Amino acid sequence: MINFKKINLIYNQKKVIEQLSLNIEKGDKVVILGKSGLGKSSLFYLLLGFIAEYKGEIQFNNIPVNQKTVWDIRKQIAFIDQDVSLGQGKAIDWIRSVFNFRINAEQAFPQKQMEELLEYFELNKDDLDKDTQELSGGERQRLAIITAILLNRKVFLFDEITSALDAHLKQKTVDFFTKNKEWTVIAISHDSVWLKNPKVKVFDLEAKTWQQ
Amino acid sequence: MATVDISIFSLFLALLLLTVPIVLSRVYGIGLIRSLIYSTIRMSIQLVLIGIFLKYLFVWNNTILNIVWLAVMILAAVFSVIRGSAMKASKVLVPAYISFSLATFTIVLFLNIVVIRLDYVFDARYLIVLGGMLLGNSLRGNIVGITAFYTSIKKDKKKFLYTLSLGASFNEAILPYLKESIQLALKPTLASMATMGIVALPGMMTGVILGGTSPEVAIKYQIMIMIGIVTSTIVSVFLTILMTLRVCFSKYGVLNQDIFI
Repeated sequence: MINFKKINLIYNQKKVIEQLSLNIEKGDKVVILGKSGLGKSSLFYLLLGFIAEYKGEIQFNNIPVNQKTVWDIRKQIAFIDQDVSLGQGKAIDWIRSVFNFRINAEQAFPQKQMEELLEYFELNKDDLDKDTQELSGGERQRLAIITAILLNRKVFLFDEITSALDAHLKQKTVDFFTKNKEWTVIAISHDSVWLKNPKVKVFDLEAKTWQQ
Repeated sequence: MATVDISIFSLFLALLLLTVPIVLSRVYGIGLIRSLIYSTIRMSIQLVLIGIFLKYLFVWNNTILNIVWLAVMILAAVFSVIRGSAMKASKVLVPAYISFSLATFTIVLFLNIVVIRLDYVFDARYLIVLGGMLLGNSLRGNIVGITAFYTSIKKDKKKFLYTLSLGASFNEAILPYLKESIQLALKPTLASMATMGIVALPGMMTGVILGGTSPEVAIKYQIMIMIGIVTSTIVSVFLTILMTLRVCFSKYGVLNQDIFI
């Protein structure tokens, strides 16, 4: 479903990724491992077209990622960056603004599902009325996770989304995303909860091979 | 009632006022003397040259020459906006120049044709003087607006990319930044409009009153020019941003880093 073919990426005159090939199938749950500076986050940026200067080929559902296709590909992927920023203003306003984008406005605002997810991820409804700057890192991460789920997409790219959660919530998050067979999940994480999960395949970016 | 002329000798007497900042700078070691003298000399030379130039411009009052001179003034304004924005002139000069020209020429001609109802709409006294006021007074707003747009997207890189990944179209992603930068651009003008006449007697009014016209006429001109300034600021910021998008963003919707110095 997601194919990186012989990727070479130079960033700031430094070779970040060299001759990387990686295939991810539909429904895979993958954790990318590797020291910092190995280009873990760059992999996501490459797939989303945020980095466009590289050698090699990237395909999503057999469609090459380029300036024309990338806009449609982005709509099929739910991506959460490290230290995600939800802007300024009330949390609920931010979530609603996401659903006001023309492409997302086709579905009615999933109020009921949002309430269920708030409960699952142990947030209060009152938290939605707080300013996003007042929320803790963990609360912001969970709001981003909930938004990603509400968007109803099938592919998830997570960059350290469980880092600020306590052990119990880390477990719940990993369980939530690994149980759904339809979903393809790629996570960058140092959390052992991801690594211990039997459904998770681990890709070692330094050795460029699968670990388990 | 003609304006009282100032003799060259008297003008040198005005220089005496400079002894105050010079003495203060000396005593407290503010270190302003050099730049104070440099700026005064530079300003005087510029104004003398422009005075001679304008004198002939007004005498000849040639349509093409007037238009060309306004075009040169616009170019100077665009350069100072680009310098203030820390962006590369090679990338944004052409789109910015087109935007500023459209804004300035359209508004000046509108004022000359529709509002003042001149018989000769390219008259140097109106075309160049009003055009210069529009450019000069919208300069700060333009710098603030255009700089704010690109630097906040640069600063918000992660959030901007996140928005794109959430399914925002390119226009949807830039819209909040566009709104914010236009608000910022208009702030100084709106603030000066609010105190106008009470705190400051604006240059346009001062000029017209000293020129011997009644305050009633001066006020009408001032109201007209302020409306022109607000409009030209908003139009030039808006157009410049829209027209530079193509050079400043990749086809992937990502801000090019090489547009900054």
